[in-house]
Amino acid sequence: MEKEKVKLRIYGMTCDDCVSTVTAGLKKQKGVIDVKVSLKDGTGEVNINNKEVKPEELLRNEVFTRPSHYKAIIIND
Amino acid sequence: MSEPEKFDLVIIGRGAAAFSAAIKASELSNGEMTIAMVGTGPIGGTCVNVGCVPSKYLLEASHSVFKPAHPRMPGLHETEVKYDFSKIMEGLRSYVSHARDSKYVKVIENYSNVKLFTGLGSFLDKKTVVITGPDGKEVGKVSGSNILIATGSHPSIPNIKGLSNTGFITSDTIWEMNELPESVAIIGGGAIGLEIGQALLHFGSKVIVIEAMDSILPQTEGEIREALKKELESEGMRFYLRARVSAVSRSGNWKSLDVITHKGNEKITVKEIIVATGRQPNTEYLNLERVDVKTDPRGLIITSDTMKTSASGIYAAGDCVSKNMFLETLAAREGVVAVSNIFGENIKIDYNSTTWAVFTNPQVAGVGMTEREFSKMNGSCSTRTFSLLNLTKASITGETEGLIKIVVDPKDNRIVGMQILAPNATDIITEGAYAVRNGYTIDDVISTSHIFPSFSEGVKLAAQSFIRDISKMACCVE
Repeated sequence: MEKEKVKLRIYGMTCDDCVSTVTAGLKKQKGVIDVKVSLKDGTGEVNINNKEVKPEELLRNEVFTRPSHYKAIIIND
Repeated sequence: MSEPEKFDLVIIGRGAAAFSAAIKASELSNGEMTIAMVGTGPIGGTCVNVGCVPSKYLLEASHSVFKPAHPRMPGLHETEVKYDFSKIMEGLRSYVSHARDSKYVKVIENYSNVKLFTGLGSFLDKKTVVITGPDGKEVGKVSGSNILIATGSHPSIPNIKGLSNTGFITSDTIWEMNELPESVAIIGGGAIGLEIGQALLHFGSKVIVIEAMDSILPQTEGEIREALKKELESEGMRFYLRARVSAVSRSGNWKSLDVITHKGNEKITVKEIIVATGRQPNTEYLNLERVDVKTDPRGLIITSDTMKTSASGIYAAGDCVSKNMFLETLAAREGVVAVSNIFGENIKIDYNSTTWAVFTNPQVAGVGMTEREFSKMNGSCSTRTFSLLNLTKASITGETEGLIKIVVDPKDNRIVGMQILAPNATDIITEGAYAVRNGYTIDDVISTSHIFPSFSEGVKLAAQSFIRDISKMACCVE
């Protein structure tokens, strides 16, 4: 297993329910180990097993796909 | 050293590709994505300021002068239209200013998430862009997780002895002209040269086009470009093909060009020289090598069909991208594709169903592959070329000097290419774009209702010419 931390900028979150929805959506994705979402910063930190999921595949998670109004991009420091 | 201002997306450039990308990114993020747009020159880039918009304005004005003097229907008298060229140019500049304000300047004011920076952007590293002012001094830095290069292009100037000392105009500078030149030599027989050439010709200039290739518009089907050349010659345009300008000089108010042709050397003397030998990308100052963004030998940025460059997190769109077609509409689409992929959408640019046009009269428009391109790729193809002589609407208006050529995959009759020479080719080529994009067959076109009499009916007749002899067909046979 190759563990990798992916930082996301997440758009469309307005409340704690949004944080729960996005977090739950990401956690369901194969290869996702853990998720930490910040409403204040509009960001998310996702630890993945990059043998099972590529960082870009996180952006195609159901929670970021229409009709969901959440969207994300990868940001790297 | 100042700290860079942080954004989610940095766009270098502020033309069609940049605007399209910024607006798409704003829509996808509900206006939350922070975007820096860095650039120099008038907002809106080439198309609105020195490209499509002013050239179409000039062409339309010139047709309004030319057509009444050359009526095509019996009983209409030749009518001379009085005009004031300097006022036409004043109107042109005023319209360009209006279009720039209404379609770009005021539009971007609606996006509070987009911040404009004026200055030349260049890469400091893969995430940081340095902005410099006209004096070369740094005026700021911006950084972004993703960067889109959309810096466009500028006219390329051939290395001809005496050219810069003699003086010349280009498609960037012609719009400041106030006096119609009595005669012009246009170096370059591509779309820009022919459009400007016909506009000046219609106002009354003597126009000579000098082209290095053996034909004008080399990307077009042979029948189409030959028919257009014949039409332009009938209006008085003169052509030197397979010809090269070796030197240029000035004598008083006249400019001379030494032209090497396959028949020998000639000297041409005119009032003005227009250089229209293509465009080159604005990539030289970007420091692309510093961030490992690869370019082709012409300096154009190499991208995948998702608009990704060779450097992670850096995308490119518009006239600075390595490809064969340089169009405002394509630049805008590339901007959308780049941004959509930043959001993980995995969409690709489709160059094959992109329409292109030359706005001469008659106009030329095309989509998809030529006969030669498809045959080269697949070994064979099936084509028909329909003459507007057989089209009722063209016969009524007297505008029969046009053609519609369709290229079909002989295996399944799918339309893979279409080129049109017709007064409104730019309007009716969209039918070809639908066909190529969606894999429609000639039967799909034939079974679709077309208005009679119209130029669009010509597309249906061109499709019907695959299955019957059109010259022996009554009107409206399905």
